[in-house]
Amino acid sequence: MPSTQVPPIAGAAIDPPSLRPPIDDAVIERVVPSELRSRLEALKAGGYAMLLDLGAVDYLGRTPRFDVVYHLLRLAAKVATVAEIGTPARVRILCGVDEGQSLPTVSDVWKAADWAEREVYDLFGIRFDGHPDLRRIQMPHDWVGHPLRKDYPMRGPALERAPRPAFANKTNVVAGSPPSGRTLEALQEQVKRVREGGP
Amino acid sequence: MTLSATPPPEVIAQTENTMVLSMGPQHPSTHGVLQIVLEIDSENVVKADPEIGYLHTGIEKSAEGLFWTQAQTVIERMDYLAPSSNALCYALAVEKLLGITDRIPERAQTIRVLIGELTRIASHCVWLGTHGIDLGAISVFFYCFDLRENILDLQEAAGGARMHPNYVRVGGLNGDLPEGYLARLDALIEKIPGRMRELRGLLQANPIFQDRTIDIGVLTPEEAVQWSVTGPSLRASGLAYDVRKAFPYCGYQTYDFEIPTRTEGDAYARFLVRLDEMDQSIRLIEQTRQRLDTPGPVMIDDPKVALPPKETIALSMEALIHHFKLISEGFRVPPGDVYQSVESPRGELAYYIVSNGENKPYRIRTRPPSMYNLQALKGIAPGNLIADLVVMIGSLDPVFGEVDR
Amino acid sequence: MTVSPGQFMLARLDDVARWAQSSSVWPLTMGLACCAIEMMTVTSSEYDIARLGSEVFRSSPRQADLMIVSGRVAQKMGPVIKRLYDQMAEPKWVISMGACASSGGIFDNYAIIQGVDTIIPVDVYVPGCPPTPDGLLYAVNLIQQQIREGGRGGILARA
Repeated sequence: MPSTQVPPIAGAAIDPPSLRPPIDDAVIERVVPSELRSRLEALKAGGYAMLLDLGAVDYLGRTPRFDVVYHLLRLAAKVATVAEIGTPARVRILCGVDEGQSLPTVSDVWKAADWAEREVYDLFGIRFDGHPDLRRIQMPHDWVGHPLRKDYPMRGPALERAPRPAFANKTNVVAGSPPSGRTLEALQEQVKRVREGGP
Repeated sequence: MTLSATPPPEVIAQTENTMVLSMGPQHPSTHGVLQIVLEIDSENVVKADPEIGYLHTGIEKSAEGLFWTQAQTVIERMDYLAPSSNALCYALAVEKLLGITDRIPERAQTIRVLIGELTRIASHCVWLGTHGIDLGAISVFFYCFDLRENILDLQEAAGGARMHPNYVRVGGLNGDLPEGYLARLDALIEKIPGRMRELRGLLQANPIFQDRTIDIGVLTPEEAVQWSVTGPSLRASGLAYDVRKAFPYCGYQTYDFEIPTRTEGDAYARFLVRLDEMDQSIRLIEQTRQRLDTPGPVMIDDPKVALPPKETIALSMEALIHHFKLISEGFRVPPGDVYQSVESPRGELAYYIVSNGENKPYRIRTRPPSMYNLQALKGIAPGNLIADLVVMIGSLDPVFGEVDR
Repeated sequence: MTVSPGQFMLARLDDVARWAQSSSVWPLTMGLACCAIEMMTVTSSEYDIARLGSEVFRSSPRQADLMIVSGRVAQKMGPVIKRLYDQMAEPKWVISMGACASSGGIFDNYAIIQGVDTIIPVDVYVPGCPPTPDGLLYAVNLIQQQIREGGRGGILARA
């Protein structure tokens, strides 16, 4: 049964990160866009050399609407054994961004942020000031709309659903014709066996 | 429907000495749908701009419209070479949000480790086979896929399908291992070391292979961390960062295994690291085999999360109601967010899952290891030949289901 | 010179041509997603598509006559597939392998083209997610049957 037919349960939380259960997966910090870059640079200087991930979430109905989430790992960029690495510290930086607001890029701090920021722009529409090449990465270059936003329809705008071309309505098989090849014999065999009460 | 435009001139431009060439998206050696727009000077690559998105499936958006258990079916199809590691990461993350992590049965954890390591070997088999074929070593492909068939047979026996078995579930596993599985696992354990010797013998000391991979695509530790490369590619540069040791899950801290590393950081080092990893996986599989002799439950005993046994439906009203609710509505996950990582054959696979209390995920953000590994290509490609580009892509081992999602 | 029966072989040119054509169908390497892995498995020694005549998978569409669309077709990839199909020389056949290529599969969303038959004509659909390699072998068998029995695109096909 397709779950899209089930109506959403009333009373869903609007700001889940503020209600999280006590899970020890990362040290969480919330910053505002104006102090984002200085905080991230300070963390990098403090040993968080690896940007694990850069993503976004759309909390439609909350202000600010989007949350851009940075996960950092405290890993020194040099040769190290398992014992030296141990259990590195993880940090999650949540930055609330509103519709139309843009964030400073961190692609010069961590090169890995390049594509991640492009993906956030492509799928959510959040711009990153100072990014060297902010263009769509997953969707075609002339796509309209930002698909992962909550108000974007699941199946895309109606215009994109191409109508079936003429040749898709014609087949090699003429309706009502018997199966070709040895299939017909095999089918008739099977029917005969069943009628005679076989296995 | 128009073809995607080439990158803007600031990124790639044709000058009087160079030519812009599009390698892909349909290409025998790009390991999937990857388009690399190259600026080349005869055979030398001046700049490379990989263009992804040719397999963008909207998995994250699809998952937002499905129940928590249904979302796992689409999630599994991200990294299609190691589907069970996607499922495992997802299951662990949702279990953390539900707060049931310490109630997952011991046997379920053991089998999860077994499935994870079998998947790692199967995925590395595909990597090695396709890497070999790209370099012209076609026999390697057949040896690797033959080994992979044995593993897929086991996966089909346990989970029901060769690929995408949906065997690891939230709360444990779909069902216990079938009869005769352990005997077949024993047979495989006996057979694998001989197979590994064959695979090593085919390529490791081959002078042509060494010529083509040594000193190609060198990633220094600083570069690797800047590009957020994880997994065997990072370990080949010297950092022994493995999520199984750094943030253990499923009881990995109770197993005895090592993390192979190299320091050269070239394609040959990545090759050796992956082969050594396969040996370590065999070691882990032997250890899980010893623990599987004791029977036990494989699914959490919580009717709010896991389906009660089918036999009880006709006898117990509660079981019937829970079945009905779980199938028609699914369980609800308390609001919150979690970041859960596992060591997939490609690197650190992680999900950042946000739940708003409903019976459907609110947002599943994937940390795709292949995307970050592939991005490093922009850094290591310039200055090499086009043929070396093929070696580099193969040694970084991207899977485009994960890169594009 | 005496000639006895059995020393001459007579056949229609049409049948011989179709037999030759069906015994050497060369696929195009159109591997997109998970089904591509099963397609690679079908070339491996356990399933061995080479015994059906598909000895080599050609990378250039100009040299291939069968396109096995194996995997989900994203919006960005649709025009690429159409262009590759147009580049293939007649006669050509298409197998739509897997649920995603046949109808969009489990991904009923903005990103996936709901069936590759909305852009190119398909001869055989293979269900499964992914189909087992045996399924793909059966599909190639059906293509061979279609060629031999005068389906669309036979070498001397009537219009």
